[in-house]
Parts: sequence; structure tokens; C-alpha cells
Amino acid sequence: MSRRTSRRCLTLAAFALVFLWAAWFTGCDLGAMWSRRGHLTDIVSRMVPPDWSFAGKALPLLWSTVQMSVTGTFLGAAMAIPAAMVCAAPLPGPAVLKKAVRFCIQVLRSFPALILALLATFFLGIGSFAGTAAITVYTFAIMARLTYEDIESAPQGPYLALRTMGASPVRAFARGIFPEILPAYLTNGLYLLEGNVRHSSILGYVGAGGIGLLLNEKVSWREYDRVGMILLLLFVIVYGMEHLSAFLTALVQHERSLGRNGGRLLAAAAAALFVVCTLTLPPPDLSRTSLQMVQNLFAGLLQPDWELFFRPDSSGLAYLLLETAAIALVGTCAGAVFAVPLAFLGSSRFFPAPVAWLFRTVVTAIRSVPFLIYGLIFIRVCGPGSFTGVLTLAVCSVGLLCKRFTEAIDALDLRAYHALESMGTGKLACLRHVALPQLAPRFFSAWLYRFDVNIREASVLGLAGAGGIGAPLILAMNQYAWHEVSTLALGMIALSWLVDVISGRCRRRMA
Amino acid sequence: MLQVSHIRKQFQRTGEVLRDISFTLEDGEFLSVIGPSGAGKTTLFRILNGAEPCDGGQILYDGTHFESARGREKRAVQRRIGTIYQDFCLVENVSVLQNVLNACLPEMSLAASLLGAFGRERTARAAEILQEVGLADKLEEPVKNLSGGQKQRVAIARALMRSPSILLADEPVASLDPVTGRQILCLLQEVRRTHPVSILMNSHNLELSLAFSTHIVGMNQGRVVFDGAPGDVTEAVLREIYGETEEAV
Repeated sequence: MSRRTSRRCLTLAAFALVFLWAAWFTGCDLGAMWSRRGHLTDIVSRMVPPDWSFAGKALPLLWSTVQMSVTGTFLGAAMAIPAAMVCAAPLPGPAVLKKAVRFCIQVLRSFPALILALLATFFLGIGSFAGTAAITVYTFAIMARLTYEDIESAPQGPYLALRTMGASPVRAFARGIFPEILPAYLTNGLYLLEGNVRHSSILGYVGAGGIGLLLNEKVSWREYDRVGMILLLLFVIVYGMEHLSAFLTALVQHERSLGRNGGRLLAAAAAALFVVCTLTLPPPDLSRTSLQMVQNLFAGLLQPDWELFFRPDSSGLAYLLLETAAIALVGTCAGAVFAVPLAFLGSSRFFPAPVAWLFRTVVTAIRSVPFLIYGLIFIRVCGPGSFTGVLTLAVCSVGLLCKRFTEAIDALDLRAYHALESMGTGKLACLRHVALPQLAPRFFSAWLYRFDVNIREASVLGLAGAGGIGAPLILAMNQYAWHEVSTLALGMIALSWLVDVISGRCRRRMA
Repeated sequence: MLQVSHIRKQFQRTGEVLRDISFTLEDGEFLSVIGPSGAGKTTLFRILNGAEPCDGGQILYDGTHFESARGREKRAVQRRIGTIYQDFCLVENVSVLQNVLNACLPEMSLAASLLGAFGRERTARAAEILQEVGLADKLEEPVKNLSGGQKQRVAIARALMRSPSILLADEPVASLDPVTGRQILCLLQEVRRTHPVSILMNSHNLELSLAFSTHIVGMNQGRVVFDGAPGDVTEAVLREIYGETEEAV
């Protein structure tokens, strides 16, 4: 066995051990779940057929959800450009400022949209305005990070040439670097817009507007036929959004063209949609915001609760973080196991087009359900606890990983595959020895990205009673216990940073 | 021996690509198929390695009908054919040795092939062939780190791993520089001397084809317009194969 192979085997064995420990720690019990599977099918069967008459009531709130995601994504993406310019290493600026802005972006990236929305409701009152602010900040943090990384990896020659000709840094950036990063910037923006529709649909749980409030109400009252109607409408929106996003991405990457006038018309339509969404937003409700409240909040945040920080028992920070990381790890792995075969079934390169379309639609349906709904369903099956969190993240990961995996399969170079096939090798052996080695790094990269996201998502599962750091964090926020919030937030930032560093190293090693 | 008789092929979009192709590749021969772009050389190769069915005619590999073979029978013939390609068709991010061992997959059981249990004997043979093609020091190197010439050597080693009776070489030097291209053809010559294998090459490079082959088949617009020794390829023959195009120059 070569040194490389033995090192790989050792890494796999170590990972398997960590996985098994995490599965034990989160109390994974598939037998118990199987014995209570009737509860799961009961809830799902009560959603079908949906209550069609409820569509009229749900549609205005659905529009509000779309409104929050459109305005939030546009604003966040626009604000990310100057921030990325300040952070990016090739552009001039004080190193201290660059580090400070990067740190702020990393801090903001550590929190899921729902926690940001809850915080926004304290400042901006209950309603869509707070939700829009949360989506803006969420988008800003992710887009700023992606954009400054794109700036740093873009060719610097045109920028330097313009600078030596006397152009100001901003003009040299606008003409030398921005055109290079524009396709990636627009693609990332569209991808986020698509995801933000899903994020916006649960913000109502914390009072930040959109259809989430109604969804929460109907789940609590067990009116599952109405929940089914809302989920059907969300599926239609997500399905439409995905196809629109795919069409626009093809335009951005010059795989399609609309002509000069078509392009202008599309830009004008996008601008009009943004203006309509923004102008029709309800104003913030500042009636309950006071200077005293803001002062208390900041004073609390600046003085963390160190007792909670160092508490050794299961209510301490270390235990909560470990639980969150374990839920994310097992959930992401379980999701990947199901996502791989589904991704192959959804690729028209290996299966007939109708079969591929069917599986892609099923995966879109899985993806369109907000993850808190899965949490609330699984809690009825397995009861509150970490295992419910694992199941919730696993199902969400299936939907999102499957999309990434199918994209990787569609981009696969099949020349070596056909070469082996022409030698008389069977399809399974070709998949194992040609497709899998090519796909493994891409699948792993997608898995790492999902794990990174799931670490943050796991912190929201507490809202549904599904374990992790989320429950104590949301409880502390609702009780205005800002010292505790500060400690728990510090923990989340540290965990998110650690995962970021580890995944960055793994990606560099794979490159 | 390979006998190709009256092969025809038609595509819906492009019409008839091969009209009436017949030639014979004798044991130990180095046959080059030459012709301008669009003559049908690549389609002919795809038919000969089983990637594409033909619409009519016969292909006899050592007396076995390949054109009508299906399933196991077809795979049994395919196991006697080694193919090397212009773009190498290797798995870039696995090792050189693994790529060569992949050639053994058709003869292995499903479980062994899925587990990648190639066994010591096959591994030793792959190492031996890699030494023969000059890559003894690159066994564990990922293919993506190799040069074009080295990749083509890996592809040749992969083809030899099957102990083929016929080696199909589809534009093997088209993506290599002239010096490396010549080295690869020298290696193929050497292979022909040391292994009981006939070589059927499809090439755009007229000079190298004439220098290394023992038998030339010239194609134009899906028809064989010349079949003979390299020494018989005259200016008039070239005009017939290439017409008055620049490729003839």
C-alpha cells in the first residue's frame, strides 16, 4: 500500500470514528424512528389534498416573503461591493482597516438569517422591514466574502496597467477588475436570491414578516391541509425562482443571449421589481425602540457571561457548541448519503430525460420546504432533542447537496468513462473508477460548504426544540439577557471561524 | 487480423459519412488511415471500437463478426482491442498505476472491480508495462501532473495491459508537439516489435504516417481512394485523397 493510500485510509478511519462518536452523542436511534414512522406518514397524509380555499389568504404574505428576499438581496449585494473593495488585498488601504472589515464580515457570517431577524425586530419592530434588514445583512456578509475572494483571484494586470496610467484606485477597479468578477458576482447574487426566498419564509417565526407567521400558526393548530397549501405555494415560488435563476445564470455566463434590447429590457425589469418591492415595504415600527433599550443591549453584549462560558455541565457553552457541531456533522453526512444516488438519478447524462426531470422535481420539492417545518414534523416523531435536529438537517442537506452534486455530475468529463466502456467495462465499474474519482473532490467541496452552512442552521433548530445552541440563544434574546446572548454569540463566532479555517485548509489541500 | 468490408454509416444530420469502406489489417502491420477533415476517419474508428454501430457491411476480428455482436460476445471482442485517443481519455486525478490497472476491469468480478482489488499479479504487470513505456518513476503520480507526451504513454500502457491483438490509435499525436509526437510513434513501433499486436492509426500528420506505417489507407468523403504501401503514395494519390486543399501540402 502506498504512503498516499495509507494516509487516506487513516484519515477516513479517523473521520468514521468522529462520525460514530457524533452519532452516539446526538442520540441517533433509527430503530425508535422506524417504530414511530406512522406519525410521519400521518402528518404528510393530512397535508394532502391541500386546502385550496386557503390560497387567497396565503398569497399576500407570500408576496411579502418575495418582497423581503428581493429587496434584501439587491441591497446586501450592492453594499458588498464597497466592503469587498476595502477588504481585498490588491487594492490600496490601511491593513488595519482591511482586517477590521474582514473581522466584521466573519462575525456577521456566523449568524443565520433567523437570529439576525430576531435581533432586527428589537430595533425595527415586528414586521417585514425587520425581515428585509436581516436578509440584507445576511446577503451582505456572504456576498462581501465571496466578492473579495473573487477580486483577489482575478488577474491584476489590467488594474495595475490603469493605475500606472494615473487612474484612481476606484476607476482602475471599475474598469480593470470589476468586468472580470462580474459574471461570478451576478451568479452568486442569483444563487443567494434563490436561497433567500427559503430563508424569508421562516422569518415570521420571530415576527419578522412574511409567510412564516402564518406557517407557524397553522402548524401549531395542526391545520395540516392549510400547511400543505402554503408548502405547495412555496414549492411553486422556489421552482419558478430556480428556473429563472438558471436562465439568468446562462445569460450572465454568455451561454444564452437576449440581444442588446433584450438585455436592457431585462435590466429595466429587474430594476423595476426592486423599486416596487422596496417602495411597497411597510415602514419600521419604532414605537417600542428606545435609546435606553439600545444602551442596555450594547452594554450587555460588551460584558459576556463568563460563568456560562466556562460552565462544565450540559448547559455550558462548550457542551452546547459540541452538540451543535455534532448535529451538523451527522446531519450533513446522512444527507450526503441520500443525495449521491438522487443526484445521479437527477442527471440526464446517466438516466433518460423524463426520469431525471422527475427526480429533479422531487428534490426541488424537498428543498422548497423550510427547514423549521421539517423540525416541527420530526419533533412529533422523535420528540425534542438532538436526534430531531440531525434528521431535520439531513433532509435539508439532501435537497441542497443534491443540487450541487447534480451540477458536478453535469460538468463531468466523460471521455475516460467512454474509453473504459469501449474496452468492455461494465457501467458500475466505470462509475466507480472514472466518475467517482473525478466527482469525489467536488462532492467533498460541496459537503464542506453545506457543513459550514449547517453549523449556522443548527443554531436555529433550537427554535423547534431540536437541540444545539439555538434554544438557549433565542430564549436569552427574548428575555433580553444580553450578557448570555453575548457569550453564546461569541461561541457561535468561534465555532464558525474554526469550521471556516478547517474547510479552507481541506479545500487548499484538494486543489 | 481485421477485415473491414463495405462498411456504411449515415447520420440524420450530416447524411452519409461512410459510403463503402473496405480494407484488411494483417497481423503485425502498422496501418495508417489518412484523409482530410470530414473524410469519416473518426466515425470509422468509433465503429471499429464498438462505440458506434454501422448501418451495413462486415467487421471481422480474427474471424469473429463484430458488427452484429452484442453483450458478452461484443465485450469479448472488445477485450482484444486496445484504443488510444488524441485527448488521452485518462482519469486525471488518480495515479498513473491506477489508470493502467483500470484496463483490467472488464475481466474482473463485479465485487472485485467495485472494491478495486486488482491483486499483486496485475499490479506487477502494470508496473512492468509502465517501465517499458518509460514511466517507471511515475507510478504513484496523479495523471494531472504529467506532460502531454507522458499522458499518451500512460494511455499506451493502459491499452497494452489488455495484451490486445489490435491497437486502435485515434490521432495519437494530434495534441503533442512534433518532437514528442515522433517519440510516441517510435514507442508504438517498438511496441509492434515487442508485442504480437497490429496497429491501426488515424492521423492528420501525413509525414509521420508515411514514415512509420507499413500500410496506408487514404479516405475522401467516406470512400477509400487509396490502399497500398507508403512508397506508392505519389503526388497524384495525395491529390486524390486531399483534393487541392492545403492539407495536402
